[in-house]
Amino acid sequence: MNKIAFEIEHQPAYASLILNLQANQTAIVEAGAMAAMDAHIQMKSKMKGGLMQSLGRMLAGESLFLSEFTAVGKPGQLYLSPGVPGDVQHYYLDGGRNSLIVQSGGFVAASPGVTLNTQFQGAKGFFSGESLFMIQASGQGDIWFSSYGAILEIPVENEFVVDTGYIVAFEDSLTYSVEMISGLSMRGLGVAIFGGEGLVCRFRGSGRLWVQSRELFNLLNFLNPFRPTKSSD
Amino acid sequence: MEIQLLQQPDSAIAKVLLERDEEIVAEAGSMVAMSSHIGANTTLKQGKGGGLLGGLKRMLGGESLFLSVYRALSKPGEVYLAPDFMGDIVVYPMAGQELVVQSGSYLASAPSVHIDLGFLGFKQALLSGESLFWLTISGYGELLLSSFGAIYAVEVDGEYIVDTGHIVAFERSLTFDTGKPPGSNWLSAFLGGEGFICRFKGRGTVYCQTHNPGAFGQLVGSKLPPR
Repeated sequence: MNKIAFEIEHQPAYASLILNLQANQTAIVEAGAMAAMDAHIQMKSKMKGGLMQSLGRMLAGESLFLSEFTAVGKPGQLYLSPGVPGDVQHYYLDGGRNSLIVQSGGFVAASPGVTLNTQFQGAKGFFSGESLFMIQASGQGDIWFSSYGAILEIPVENEFVVDTGYIVAFEDSLTYSVEMISGLSMRGLGVAIFGGEGLVCRFRGSGRLWVQSRELFNLLNFLNPFRPTKSSD
Repeated sequence: MEIQLLQQPDSAIAKVLLERDEEIVAEAGSMVAMSSHIGANTTLKQGKGGGLLGGLKRMLGGESLFLSVYRALSKPGEVYLAPDFMGDIVVYPMAGQELVVQSGSYLASAPSVHIDLGFLGFKQALLSGESLFWLTISGYGELLLSSFGAIYAVEVDGEYIVDTGHIVAFERSLTFDTGKPPGSNWLSAFLGGEGFICRFKGRGTVYCQTHNPGAFGQLVGSKLPPR
């Protein structure tokens, strides 16, 4: 599999991914991530599993809209930006049995040899009732994922605990279990907020883990009081 | 404890290395990741002023501070703490003096640092009906402050004016006075988007942030669906 040449600029807060495609090379990209590209690059929308499956997943709150970008006839450059300001990280899957588990909102791009499994049952319960879910990436090729805030790589050796809202990706050589730490829960304190259940993921084994330095729930909770209220104000 | 600040200045995150049985107090919800043997406990610290707000059922932003205490049980451990906004973190060593800190800028502190919510120096409603409230910090030990945007220190010697939404913290050695910007009337100040200003006098440091959370909240929040 040809590797895709790339550069990541403006790390860690405003990272942008540049893919330098060779002639007739294709990249699979999260819909909406394309910021700019050479004029001869062709884009084709690719709905994983066909239209009906995609609609079904969208209704279930799980959708991953992908596009294929191909540099037709000559090399071309593709500028990709994630939706929130943050970092971008590259990972190479070597075609063995290992896979990378990535938070769905963090997927940016991958080479065609990478298979993305969005029906990954092992990750149920990571996020309480939100439309965020985990994707299992396997196969052979490059994958790029993004974060809100900076990405920190943590090599896990034995055991490590991460708040589920801050997980970006992890190698599946790690076993994991989602738990609620009551000492972190704000539920009992009578406040209505997003998140705050004290959900953490306990990782065990040996492997790499990537976390982000900001979390969207905290921003949402800050913005919530500023929303207009339905009753006349 | 040892505190390392990583990924500065825009997405700063604090890595706190705790000795065995050492504790750190932090704003609830700021824990990103931690060693598996760290014990956690969350409580609510309430302000004395009932004021304009009332009741625990308000969204976070009222006069209450949710704090979590992290303790390294039986062996050293680490805790990663992150603020809410894109911005920076500063470690301020408390050594007996008093610091007034904007509630949203408090990130974490050593247990020997005392946090008081009773600062009634100034309190005003932002356009949304939320109020900015202030903590009085005293005692000894590390204090972690976070900012919205970049953080910079102004050494005041004489007089200085800062828009209250841009204040992260200030030393109590300064006297302060709140009001409207000089030369403005209430209407022009309101339309001009300027909020209350704080006039500092004397000698001391004011920590400022380049961006104003209230202004950002008002701009973005007012465009979101009603609640």
